Amino acid sequence: MVEESATQALLSVRDVSKAFPGVKALDHVSLEVTGGVVHGIVGENGAGKSTLMKILSGVYEKDSGEIVYEGRTIDKITPLESMQMGLAIIYQELNLVNTMSVGENVFLGRFSESGGRRGVHAKARKLLDSIGSKVSTHRMVSELSVSDKQMVEIAKALSYDSKLIIMDEPSSSLTADEMDKLVRIIHDLKSKGIAIIYISHKLDEILGFCDVVTVMRDGRVIDTRPVSEMSRNQMISMMVGRTIENEFPPRPESVGETILEIKNMNTRKLKDVQLSLHKGEILGLVGLVGSGRTELVRALFGADKVAKKSIYLDGKPVEINNPIDAINLGFAMVPEDRKLQGLLLGFPVEQNISLAVLIRLTKYGFVDSSQESVISDREIKALNIKTPSGKTRIRTLSGGNQQKAIIGRWLEMKPRILVLDEPTKGIDVGAKYEIYLLMKKIVEDGGAIILISSELPEVLHMSNRVHTISDGRVNGEFDPAVASADEIMAMAFEFA
Amino acid sequence: MSAVTQPLEARRSVSQTVGNFLRDNPIYVAIVGLVVVTSIVEPKFLTYSNFDNIIRSAGTLIFAALGMTFVIMAGFLDLSIGGIISLVAVVTVTLIDRVGQGPAILIGLTVGIVCGLINSGLILSSGALTQAESLFITFGMSLVYGAVALMYVQGVTQFLTYSESDISIFNAINSGTIGFLSVFTAMAVIAFVILFIIERRTYMGRAVVLTGGNKIAARLAGVPISKSIVMIYAISGLLSAIGAVVLVSRVTLADPTMGTPYMTQAILAVVVGGTALAGGRGSVLWTVVGTFLLVLLNNCLNLLGVSSYVQFMIWGIILITVIWLDTVKQARVRG
Amino acid sequence: MSANTVTANTRIVGAAKSGLAFQKAFLAIILVVLVMAVSQLFPATRNNFFTEANFINVLKSASIFIILAMGETIVLIGGGVDLSIGGMMAFSGVVVILLMNAGVPIPVAIALALLVGLGVGAINALISVYQRAEPFIITLGMGIVLTGAGQQLTNARPVSSKVPAFADIANFKILGPIPLLVVVMIAVVAVTYWVLRNTSFGRNVYAIGGDAEVAKYSGINVRRTKATTYLICGLLAALGGVMLASQLNSASSIAGDSTALYVVCAVVVGGTSVAGGLGGAIKSLIGLLLLGLLTNAFNMLQVDSYVAYLPTALLGVIIVSILWLDSFTRKRRREAV
Repeated sequence: MVEESATQALLSVRDVSKAFPGVKALDHVSLEVTGGVVHGIVGENGAGKSTLMKILSGVYEKDSGEIVYEGRTIDKITPLESMQMGLAIIYQELNLVNTMSVGENVFLGRFSESGGRRGVHAKARKLLDSIGSKVSTHRMVSELSVSDKQMVEIAKALSYDSKLIIMDEPSSSLTADEMDKLVRIIHDLKSKGIAIIYISHKLDEILGFCDVVTVMRDGRVIDTRPVSEMSRNQMISMMVGRTIENEFPPRPESVGETILEIKNMNTRKLKDVQLSLHKGEILGLVGLVGSGRTELVRALFGADKVAKKSIYLDGKPVEINNPIDAINLGFAMVPEDRKLQGLLLGFPVEQNISLAVLIRLTKYGFVDSSQESVISDREIKALNIKTPSGKTRIRTLSGGNQQKAIIGRWLEMKPRILVLDEPTKGIDVGAKYEIYLLMKKIVEDGGAIILISSELPEVLHMSNRVHTISDGRVNGEFDPAVASADEIMAMAFEFA
Repeated sequence: MSAVTQPLEARRSVSQTVGNFLRDNPIYVAIVGLVVVTSIVEPKFLTYSNFDNIIRSAGTLIFAALGMTFVIMAGFLDLSIGGIISLVAVVTVTLIDRVGQGPAILIGLTVGIVCGLINSGLILSSGALTQAESLFITFGMSLVYGAVALMYVQGVTQFLTYSESDISIFNAINSGTIGFLSVFTAMAVIAFVILFIIERRTYMGRAVVLTGGNKIAARLAGVPISKSIVMIYAISGLLSAIGAVVLVSRVTLADPTMGTPYMTQAILAVVVGGTALAGGRGSVLWTVVGTFLLVLLNNCLNLLGVSSYVQFMIWGIILITVIWLDTVKQARVRG
Repeated sequence: MSANTVTANTRIVGAAKSGLAFQKAFLAIILVVLVMAVSQLFPATRNNFFTEANFINVLKSASIFIILAMGETIVLIGGGVDLSIGGMMAFSGVVVILLMNAGVPIPVAIALALLVGLGVGAINALISVYQRAEPFIITLGMGIVLTGAGQQLTNARPVSSKVPAFADIANFKILGPIPLLVVVMIAVVAVTYWVLRNTSFGRNVYAIGGDAEVAKYSGINVRRTKATTYLICGLLAALGGVMLASQLNSASSIAGDSTALYVVCAVVVGGTSVAGGLGGAIKSLIGLLLLGLLTNAFNMLQVDSYVAYLPTALLGVIIVSILWLDSFTRKRRREAV
């Protein structure tokens, strides 16, 4: 563990666990943070970093374990109490009121106590000056750059006399200059004895200015070491390595001719994306959250309006302006967030399954709903969906079964190209295997799949080919049978 | 969300089902209670002529409410029907002398549809996909349609005049009979049947309720959201127009503000009937029941001698109560 | 690279925000131009519009609405909406006149009327805020209840005051030709301005309207703040009604929900969004004065025949345009970010 001098740990996390339905987010996590130290935390998507931070900042409650901050045990606190205790967190999405001024945001909820209008702006000015920011306190937050907004958040943290500041992915939207400014400020804060927890995907940053780094994986802390004793490759290995048992069926082997080509897709996030997909293939797309992978498939499916994209199906150019176009061409997409984008919660399982294929059951405007239950029963059986009946409200099903229903919805369409965006998120091992078998069958029957997943083993074992996407660029192509997980992840981090 | 599927619900006892129903729909209880009270206090309630009266006064509301049902099922609201009814009424009546009754009615119906298309056009183009935004826009359009109505006849009430020798469509609508049904009842039944078929058996009917269930998911599954929005407002406009024609037939005049009370009453009829205000759940069948409950309420209050102003107040109170209860119910369902 | 994307994003958001301001200013300018045009083009108005008497007229008729608008502004900034203000205005006028006619001393009658305003505001708050029902419909229904109540109490006929002194409250001329009503209005505007700008409560209202989640995490009691906005709005609507009753020395129970919509739209023209978080007292004042000038000009035109109802239609179109623009700008903002 970390060797420390006589300084007592500012923050002690001991054996903390937290589970959500179906997922163990944190599994007996322990770590210590000392004042005046920049403590980096790295891990893949879903490693448990943000869950831990949310527990520290009072958004979630831990299930078990102990947290001690400045000698006091923390249990069941509100976000406000956490801030008042001197534990500040700066989220990636930035917790500011866009329609209010900088000064007021720093002292949000403390207007009179801070001396009213004049006091708020004067004090905010002092705080901003102390970190070298020249942002005017009277400007509306919505007009600021991300870097300036971060300054405001830091000023806010300082206004609570924070001794521990957590920064969650602060650098994803900063220029190189702005990043330098941030690093200077971090060093400044450090010299004042403030501890910084720095969460980032950018391994160079961790190695660059963190003193200590903790690597997390699957809800556990793998190791905590001084940065001087850690290399980039070691970090990646720790983040990714896991023992792989028989979790996956053998890879499908029947790849045929090219059926889909994306030549040159450009959106706000994506840059000159090019891709091709073959019949009978499972193409894995590996990238960090925010790398553009979901944007890519949504643009492909017509879910988002995109200015420039040229898509060729079987060698012929096609226009896809909305999901209906995509579906008519043989596409199907299982979206990332099933609750928001996939399920009609108040509706029966039957209708959720028949949702996409409904149009095909229609003749002269009339729907043949007798077919509906037939279809639904077929999918329930085929996918082993556990539900009392097709008429049960889908809200009552478990996450895994809900996901299967959505997959069933699209299987009914017999798609040529099926996009799966995080298809096994929150699903138990048994159900996952069933879905893997299904995927295999689809491609063996002549379809093709684009698979997006944060679970590297899943992508590696199921795909015939893997593309990495980093910061909007498709930057690598691998054969997962020969390439190593580390190699692939390194590419995913390339522009991170 | 439960990680465990719930066991198959055991057959509920009849009394449990009824109990649940009463708890979920207290307005039913209140109105049934009122009917009982009225029958006792005012025996005139149970006469044939009173029932005839009841059905007659439901004439306009039933059409307005039927039109409103689809809009609410899709998760939107149409607050412009008051203005549409007023506008269609004055346009139809003023055109009779110029083009004859039949054509005038057809033009009136077209006006209704056009208003609906304008509504949906505005909503789609502004990207107002939430119920709240459609509220404001359609409410504003009600002002516009109403003002156009006022402008068209310069505030003057138009009277229906027809000579004895002419066969008047309006007269037929109001007092004619087909078999034992009065004409407008037959019209209402036909409208209901058509809408019911649309709702239950057609793809677009299903699209409407799916849109109300989860717009985002429906869109990603290929459900035509925009077309649904156009359809619901066009239907609402058309049915409001039919309601206007029925209204004109009954009162033999067209006043440029006559449509105003129907907006709140139509919403009430739909929500009292059981359709969820948030969308995704409902039926025109329930709306028919809701309409009758409201008309019964109206009739009872009249018979009991309640002043029309107090009745107005009661509508407001019922609106508040019904929406409130609906909100509570939705919160309970969502867990 | 990503930096340029971000700066571009920020610029788009900024543009969308100032696009909002620009297009609204554009509409405001159109309004002003319309007013100018209308006032010059027609004989009825040419000589009569730009007179001191007329402007004081405008102020007098706008003052009531301005008082209402201050309350509505506060509610809108907080992210809510109150459509009961029309009915409240009529009802409180009826209440105060009836009480006075029954012998209740003027100050007590006024106090009671204001209390009713607070009470109604409390009910609106209870159902919309604490029960989370859609405030648009709830307050709409409340407006109907109040209108009906007013009609019931007066049999839908205007009620004259039997106490001539009451008229002095609004009409007493201070500082030359300016009636007390205008002074009261200015006081209300000033207090609203001060509260919104300089008190914790006022700033919290902006916070909850701007981003309720962030506000909550900072320890602001969102529900209590929002409820208070409805209380204030009810109170001010009652005050407006009392002043109107005083101005005319009589009360009429007829005030439709279009009053509320008119006020909401004038406030939106001034720079408040129906989505919340933006707006202010002075901005609303300007919006109302503009709309007041416009309706004044239109009123003058009612002498000319066919054009009589054109203004109302035009007003309706302007109102819908404003609301449409409000939604559209939000859509643009969504797509940019």
